[in-house]
Amino acid sequence: MIELTDIELKLVGAAGPVNILRGISLAIGSGETVSLIGPSGSGKTSLLMIAAGLERPTKGRVSIAGTDLGPLSEDQLAAFRRARIGIVFQSFHLIPTMTALENVAVPLEFAGRRDAFERARIELDAVGLGHRIGHYPAQMSGGEQQRVALARAFAISPSLLLADEPTGNLDIETGQQVIDLLFQRQKEHGSTLLLITHERALASRCSRQLAMRDGRIASDAEIAQGVTPTASVTGSRDARVGL
Amino acid sequence: MSVSEGTIVATPSQGAAPDPGGWPLALKFARRELRGGIKGFRLFLLCLALGVAIIAAVGSVTASALGGLERDAKALLGGDLEFRLLYRPIDPAQQDFLDAAGTVSEVRDMRAMARASDGNRTLVELKSVDTNYPLYGEARLDPPTDLRGALAQQNGRWGAVAERALVDRLGLAIGDPVTIGTLEYELRGVIEREPDRGASVFILGPRLMVADASLEETGLVQEGSLIEYHYRLALPPDVDPIGIVEAAKAEFSDALWRVRGLDEAAPSIRRFIDRTATYLTLVGLSTLLVGGVGVGNAVRAWLDGKIATVATLKCLGASQTLIYRIYLLLVAIMALVGIAIGIAIGAVVPFAIAAPLGERYALTLEPAIYAGPLLLASGCGFLVAIAFSLWPLIRARAVPPGTLFRDLVQRMEVKPTAFDMLLLGAIVAALVLLAAITAGDRMLTLWFAGGTIVAFYLFHLAARGLKHLTRRMNESSGQRGGESRRGPIMRLALANIGRPGAPTTSALLSLGLGLTVLVMVTLVQANLERELVRSIPAEAPAFYFIDIQGTQIDEFQTLVSEFPGVKAIEQEPMLRGRITVVDGVPADQIEPGEGAAWALRGDRGVTWTATPPADGELLSGEWWPEDYAGPNLVSIESGVGEGLGLEPGDTITVNVLGRPIEATIANLRIVDWTRLDINFVFVFSPGALAGAPSMHIATAQMESTQGGADGGVDGGVDGGDALSAQEIETREIALQRAVTDAFPNVSAIRVKDAIAAVASIIEGLGSAISLAAMVTLASSLLVLAAAIAAQTHRRRYDAVVLKVLGATRRDIAKSFTIEYGLLGIAAAILALILGHAAAWGLVTYLLETPWGFDPAIALAIVVGGTLAAMVLGFLGTWRVLGTKAAPYLRNE
Repeated sequence: MIELTDIELKLVGAAGPVNILRGISLAIGSGETVSLIGPSGSGKTSLLMIAAGLERPTKGRVSIAGTDLGPLSEDQLAAFRRARIGIVFQSFHLIPTMTALENVAVPLEFAGRRDAFERARIELDAVGLGHRIGHYPAQMSGGEQQRVALARAFAISPSLLLADEPTGNLDIETGQQVIDLLFQRQKEHGSTLLLITHERALASRCSRQLAMRDGRIASDAEIAQGVTPTASVTGSRDARVGL
Repeated sequence: MSVSEGTIVATPSQGAAPDPGGWPLALKFARRELRGGIKGFRLFLLCLALGVAIIAAVGSVTASALGGLERDAKALLGGDLEFRLLYRPIDPAQQDFLDAAGTVSEVRDMRAMARASDGNRTLVELKSVDTNYPLYGEARLDPPTDLRGALAQQNGRWGAVAERALVDRLGLAIGDPVTIGTLEYELRGVIEREPDRGASVFILGPRLMVADASLEETGLVQEGSLIEYHYRLALPPDVDPIGIVEAAKAEFSDALWRVRGLDEAAPSIRRFIDRTATYLTLVGLSTLLVGGVGVGNAVRAWLDGKIATVATLKCLGASQTLIYRIYLLLVAIMALVGIAIGIAIGAVVPFAIAAPLGERYALTLEPAIYAGPLLLASGCGFLVAIAFSLWPLIRARAVPPGTLFRDLVQRMEVKPTAFDMLLLGAIVAALVLLAAITAGDRMLTLWFAGGTIVAFYLFHLAARGLKHLTRRMNESSGQRGGESRRGPIMRLALANIGRPGAPTTSALLSLGLGLTVLVMVTLVQANLERELVRSIPAEAPAFYFIDIQGTQIDEFQTLVSEFPGVKAIEQEPMLRGRITVVDGVPADQIEPGEGAAWALRGDRGVTWTATPPADGELLSGEWWPEDYAGPNLVSIESGVGEGLGLEPGDTITVNVLGRPIEATIANLRIVDWTRLDINFVFVFSPGALAGAPSMHIATAQMESTQGGADGGVDGGVDGGDALSAQEIETREIALQRAVTDAFPNVSAIRVKDAIAAVASIIEGLGSAISLAAMVTLASSLLVLAAAIAAQTHRRRYDAVVLKVLGATRRDIAKSFTIEYGLLGIAAAILALILGHAAAWGLVTYLLETPWGFDPAIALAIVVGGTLAAMVLGFLGTWRVLGTKAAPYLRNE
């Protein structure tokens, strides 16, 4: 599903060049749930952005669902995303001037789906917000907004779901509900999940955990469900890769 | 396809179209974005509406004025056709022709002196009308009465009606006597409306109207008197005027009358309206362009607030093209709203100013909704809105979707595509084309467009330069380490100018453009006014006396030359003649060069002499000897001669009093018309006009210093005390009285009055254009104020941090004021340079007037511009000075 080969990312900022990713090779199979943990600045977000086609690596190859993202233009990447990739943000990022229904329908409309609003309605029902389709984000709680974002991400039946700290702006209880929903929908759709989180408990719900440090994968461990992993840092490019 | 380690790598997807929804989808999303309200578009709407309103107003008022001329064409012309002759009436055959064609009204026009019973007198435009007048339209009098009755002979006295200006000037009341020539009239009414007044731009004297049958009794109708005879013809409805004109040409091929149709009613006011509209439209376009800066700022600010939305849409699969289309449509929708407001305002302006404008220029405006000017204004507004929004749209298109995940570490690379540049080029070209159509003068519009592009470029360059300079100044100050010569307040001011994202460019552009227009307009006005004053030579005559008969000239010369205070007199015989053949080619087949077209349009001054003028400088050829008695020779003014392609040796035929006078050109003579001496286009050799009944024209120069006891021509003591204005006025009036008492048929034109009339026109025109320029400046200040307001959030933050570090409110206010003061100075200096360059070009090449630098204006603009920026900067930051630190620090 996800195949990253020798990925490097260097960004040039006001203070000079910064090495964000330093040679990452990784393969994630279809339907896998993978958590990405690590301290701030370790490169987790950059790795997720590269997988989503939102950032081009300085070096290396990215293949998602069998498609090499390298040769794709900006617009082709956008088209690829709306067909294959769902994204859930920490800050929800719903469009404030659109209703819940319209927000969910957005990627479907971009894809030219005639049943965009029908499908959006179904997804909102699935997350328990069928009765709020006409409401705007400003009229919803944080949890409700994140559920709308989940519905939006799953509306396209994504091959790959990327979630960046999906409970970061939610209280514990609400966050738990959202996470339960996320994993439930992931299982129903069979999507591959790549999840960034600081929470160990959340990370442990995934079948695999990648720990990052200084732009490298420090450890890559299969997690037996129900077991809390311990961190292991290898600091080398040849991190264990599992399929 | 390639295979690596068992993974299939597909070629880039080929099936999915980037934007299956196209423009309809983009419109759907644009409408959803509008649900957020238009709060962020207030400046956008205001700037656009103001510029569009001015262009729409100018166009609508022009159309109203021209519409009024069209509607009143028959009344203005006085008929369906007008036949016009100078010096003498039509002959009986011509009279019979006109009588057979329709109803005829005869009107005579001349200048004369009107005298009140107390001896006060003034020059008037005397008009005698027959009982058929007016054929069209209605004359209105106060008190309301029938014109024919008011002018008819009652109890042995003829009646007269006069314009209010004459009544006021001579202190008349209804029933008072008014003397013209040797006839005393009774004033019976004030003219409130004269249907064929013609709305003349230039009027020497107020109107006095009398019955045609009374004119001979005034003694003013002499052979050679400068009288215009007008024969207006009202045709039956089914008669084509063109047919009558053709028949007249065929039957009277040698007739000297000039024929005018409805399309030539009031040509001078038509030209005046068109020219004024051109200038006002260009100033309106300047306002729109300055507003465009505000539009661009507003769109940019609004889109900056939409970065998260744009990035989200891109994450969800929106292509760059779709993003571009969504926000382009949104800008287009808002542009239509702003345009609608603008044209609504512009469309009602004719209704609001019809009365005062009509009174000022004796015009009848036809206020209505004129689609043409409104459409043109809308087109200009739309193109400006899109042009200035393009760059912010390109930036929005380039927003990386990854923005949502991290603050931008690296600078966003925004590169317009070839299509973007092509689109911008097409918009600019379309705008120039529309401007040329709207303004009406293609060459002037092209110059305006070129100048505007140069101005924009220079202001951008200046902004970059200023930012670079301020950064360098601060860097070099920092590099010295230790103490800096500049305190923190100045360094902060400089840093605020040079920092990335500073509104330096839009501040310079908006204020600078507005000041440039104001400088240009003010300098052109000042130069025109100066030229008017300068063109009056020190030795200008005080009076022109016209219609002096040949039998009166000796006595006239004696009277005037011996009059106290008269320094010099000059007199020449004068007739008027029309060019009929130019070197063998009929005049109506000639295509005159620039500077000579006017000579073919009507009758020109003609004189004859044995001795050449004292200051006659020749361009080519020679004068005839004093005792010359050979075939007719003529000296032609060089501008006319060259414009007609004539050289010494060529021939020209001038018809004078019905007699064609053919003469060989002896020389082309250079004439300085600004000297106000008596001068003529044609000076014939003696004998050419022998026996022609002529009038004389004379000038009188008066002393401006107190003379000796003997006064007179040779009087005046060099180095004497200067006379006061009152004393000069008294002497001039005394001379005027003496001459017109002795010779009632002579009219005295005071040069001062003529110049005052011209000055009034220049002032009136200048005021209108200056007013429009002030609106442009107001627009630029509005844009500047908005740019300052947009910085409020950041200023608050700066103010909080500075206060925490120990700065007083005074320190902060000083820093912001210095910042905007520097911007103001920079804008003013560049505006001075550009405004001067533009004014110089206009004055030198379009108005063909000598250029003069006016340091007072320069200083006023620099000081005013700087102050305006400083005041705005100070006001804008006043609000932030009271910001409490705690809420900001707590959020941190």
